Amino acid sequence: MNIIEFDIRGQICPSTLLTALKAINDHSRQITDGTVKLAFKTDNRDSMGTIPESAANMGYKTTVTKKEGYYLVEIGSEE
Amino acid sequence: MNSERDKKPSINSRAGKPSSELSPDYLSLKDTIEQLARENIELSSKYSAAIQYLRNKIDQLLTVMGTTPLKPEELDNTTLIETDPIGIISNSFVQILKHLHKTNEKLKNANQEITAIFDSAGAGILVINKEMKILAFNTKLGEYFFKDKTIFLGQPCYETICNFQNPLAECPFRKVFQSGKTLRLTGWVINNRYYDIVCAPINHNNGEVPSLILLYLDITEHIRMEQALRQSEEKYRDLFENANDMIQSIAPDGSIQYVNRAWREVLEYAQEDIPNISVFDVIHPDCSECGQAFKSVVFGEKSGRVETIFITKSGRTINVEGNIGTVFSEGKLVGTRGIFRDITERKKAEELLSSEKERLAVTLRSIGDGVIATDTDGNVVLMNKISEALTGWSQEQANGRPITEVLHLIEETSRTIKENPVSTLLKSRQTITLSAHNTLLAARDETERLISYSVSPIIDRQSNIIGTVLVFQDVTEKRNTEEKLLKAEKIESVGVLAGGLAHDFNNLLSAIMGNVELATMELDPNDKAHESLSRAEKAIAMATELAYQLLTFSKGGAPIKKAASIIELTRDSADFALRGSNIRCSFDLPDDLWKVEIDPGQISQVINNIVLNAVHAMPEGGQIHISAGNIVIGYDHPELKQGRYVKVTIKDTGSGIPKEYLQRIFEPYFTTKHTGSGLGLASTYSIMKRHDGLIEVASDFGKGTTFSVYLPACLGKIELNPLDVEKPSPEKGRGKILLMDDDEMIRLTAGEMLKQIGYKGVGAAEGNEAIEKYKTAKNSDEPFDAVILDLTIPGGMGGKETIRNLLEFDAGVKAIVSSGYSDDAIMANYRQYGFSGVLTKPYRVKDLSSVLRKVIFHK
Repeated sequence: MNIIEFDIRGQICPSTLLTALKAINDHSRQITDGTVKLAFKTDNRDSMGTIPESAANMGYKTTVTKKEGYYLVEIGSEE
Repeated sequence: MNSERDKKPSINSRAGKPSSELSPDYLSLKDTIEQLARENIELSSKYSAAIQYLRNKIDQLLTVMGTTPLKPEELDNTTLIETDPIGIISNSFVQILKHLHKTNEKLKNANQEITAIFDSAGAGILVINKEMKILAFNTKLGEYFFKDKTIFLGQPCYETICNFQNPLAECPFRKVFQSGKTLRLTGWVINNRYYDIVCAPINHNNGEVPSLILLYLDITEHIRMEQALRQSEEKYRDLFENANDMIQSIAPDGSIQYVNRAWREVLEYAQEDIPNISVFDVIHPDCSECGQAFKSVVFGEKSGRVETIFITKSGRTINVEGNIGTVFSEGKLVGTRGIFRDITERKKAEELLSSEKERLAVTLRSIGDGVIATDTDGNVVLMNKISEALTGWSQEQANGRPITEVLHLIEETSRTIKENPVSTLLKSRQTITLSAHNTLLAARDETERLISYSVSPIIDRQSNIIGTVLVFQDVTEKRNTEEKLLKAEKIESVGVLAGGLAHDFNNLLSAIMGNVELATMELDPNDKAHESLSRAEKAIAMATELAYQLLTFSKGGAPIKKAASIIELTRDSADFALRGSNIRCSFDLPDDLWKVEIDPGQISQVINNIVLNAVHAMPEGGQIHISAGNIVIGYDHPELKQGRYVKVTIKDTGSGIPKEYLQRIFEPYFTTKHTGSGLGLASTYSIMKRHDGLIEVASDFGKGTTFSVYLPACLGKIELNPLDVEKPSPEKGRGKILLMDDDEMIRLTAGEMLKQIGYKGVGAAEGNEAIEKYKTAKNSDEPFDAVILDLTIPGGMGGKETIRNLLEFDAGVKAIVSSGYSDDAIMANYRQYGFSGVLTKPYRVKDLSSVLRKVIFHK
């Protein structure tokens, strides 16, 4: 599986959400068929509420991991 | 951005000049420019408004997405347009919508699945609202409660299910609306059926309970099965506890799991004892195989019927029989179950019956008669050994066969088949006894035997005939014996006649002899008559010999027995008989022969007679072989008593005796010889009889004859008869003699003889007269010195009774018995009867003198 990483540290909402949504939109097919997984590094705490919820509404599975100095938000297929 | 927009009008103002200085083209241009500036301002305004509109919409969308609006400083207008947030969000919306659609599809499917589950559930499901109105119900619930009704959603459950007009205040389900907690009810009865009900609230997030879901499970069958099981259990418990048989369940370690009342009662245990005992307390310690049997059952080696011995609490022994089975659970032995019955009484009865049967069987075996039992159809059911031997059929062969097949009966004289007595009995129902000896039984091997029989019905308690018993004897031998007895009786009667004749003859001879002797004494020694008298005396001697022979044959010839060896006697007698003949005789007389108890004179006569007979049978000469041997006779001999005998066999090579004469040769006066008296073998027979012996004859006509003589072996010493002492010559004596004889001639002659030898004779005709005279004389000065008593007084008191009377009167009476052998026992054993001497008729003067001297003077 291919993991595409986006470092959006320094960005804040709604910029982080829009960046994430655009990336999801661009790779929606690959994410759905399970060949690609997106990983966002963000230090914006608000994004922890917006990105996973939007991704969930769109039918993706999101995991948030707290890392040193940032959060890693991973978006992949539900199955 | 606003600053940029504000700059544009300023560009327009920097290009402007006063209108008077400008050409018309310029002016026109100016107008155009102004026009354009106005339009630019207008457009700029619209642009700003559009941008603002966009920003608003973007913010609106971002808010929908759950994030914060864009701040103006975050993106300038150009970047905003380039970034295209609306496009991004729109694309995201497309995906959200797709996802929602997919989710909806899933929900729809799930709903359908739930509906299917709802309807296919094995339990009834009901959904009601707060007003207790039915919101939904599944097929099963319809089957439970609405079978014959049309139910519409919205109808109240209390009406449709519980059949009430109004909701019950105490309805437990209503309370769930308040409590919000699931309620479970078991065995709830609706319309005579039982239900387990689970009532669960459908909770909304706000804590409100708008509806309930009720799950009904019909457990009526389960309840009924439980009830049936309970009843069945009660029934079996009742049977178990009240059974008369002992029932036990034993764990593999021998501990008792449970036992019934009968078990406890028989083995004398109380219920509280049971946990403390094991099966090994109950199995009798002396019954080694009993514990083993239990173990075999536990190890699965054995099961089924068991007979064993139990011991009660008090130590009593109980015989039991029963069945043991093993009980397995999940392949593992959990115990044994046994049902036993106390058979102690039955066992005793069986033992009794068995010993009775054994006794009967032994009795049946020991019976000397043939016994056949049949059923009511006349088929053989039992035969004893004798009947097997007599019929030639074994019990196995005869079993179940008609008796007519086994027992062939023939009428002896007519040779016709006789009706089987069993058949006759089954027709007549009467016991049949046949003793006439005219029925022959033809055995399987065609041997015919004369039988007598009796048939009796076997009758049960209800007087029904359940079979027959036929008892029969082989009477062939009996008839032979009877014939022999008849012959013996014939000989006996002739003997009696001969005895009587001889008695009278002796009396006559006594008188003749006495008178001849007296005449001789009285005659002058030189008288010629002496010769005639001497001849008369010889004739008298010959007549006496003949009379003696007659007497020997008759009752009178009692043997005067003593223990003797027969070796010399046999040899001498045979030699004597053979003298002058041309017969060769061989002897086989072993030294170890037992002594025999015989009258040697009589037995000598027997041997003499037989050998003479042989000599006569071989006029041309021949051989005689005489042998002897010891023999022991058991109980089986028809004519001899059990005991030890010496058997003397005399075998000749003569002409033999024709079969038809063989039965008659011992008859008196039966003879085939011209010279014979016909008394020889008759006397022999009679002598042997009186010796408790036997004479047998076997003859092969034309080849020779064998006589066998059985003489009883001697068991003790025999008293020597004083008569054997040589007779002295007459001597004179002195005394008074009483002479009792019924024959007057004897009295007279004897009186004369007494006178001759110095005695005074007084006569008496019979006992009473003799006693009277003896008593009278005893009390006088001249008592009798001796009495001579005749043994037989026809029609009066004889010697035997007279001596008894005389002895009573005078114990010292000296009495002499006189007889022509008429009563053998007294003559042979005269001392036992109180006599002091014996005088055989006819007697000579010297015989009289001798016995008197001996009796009176002890000389």
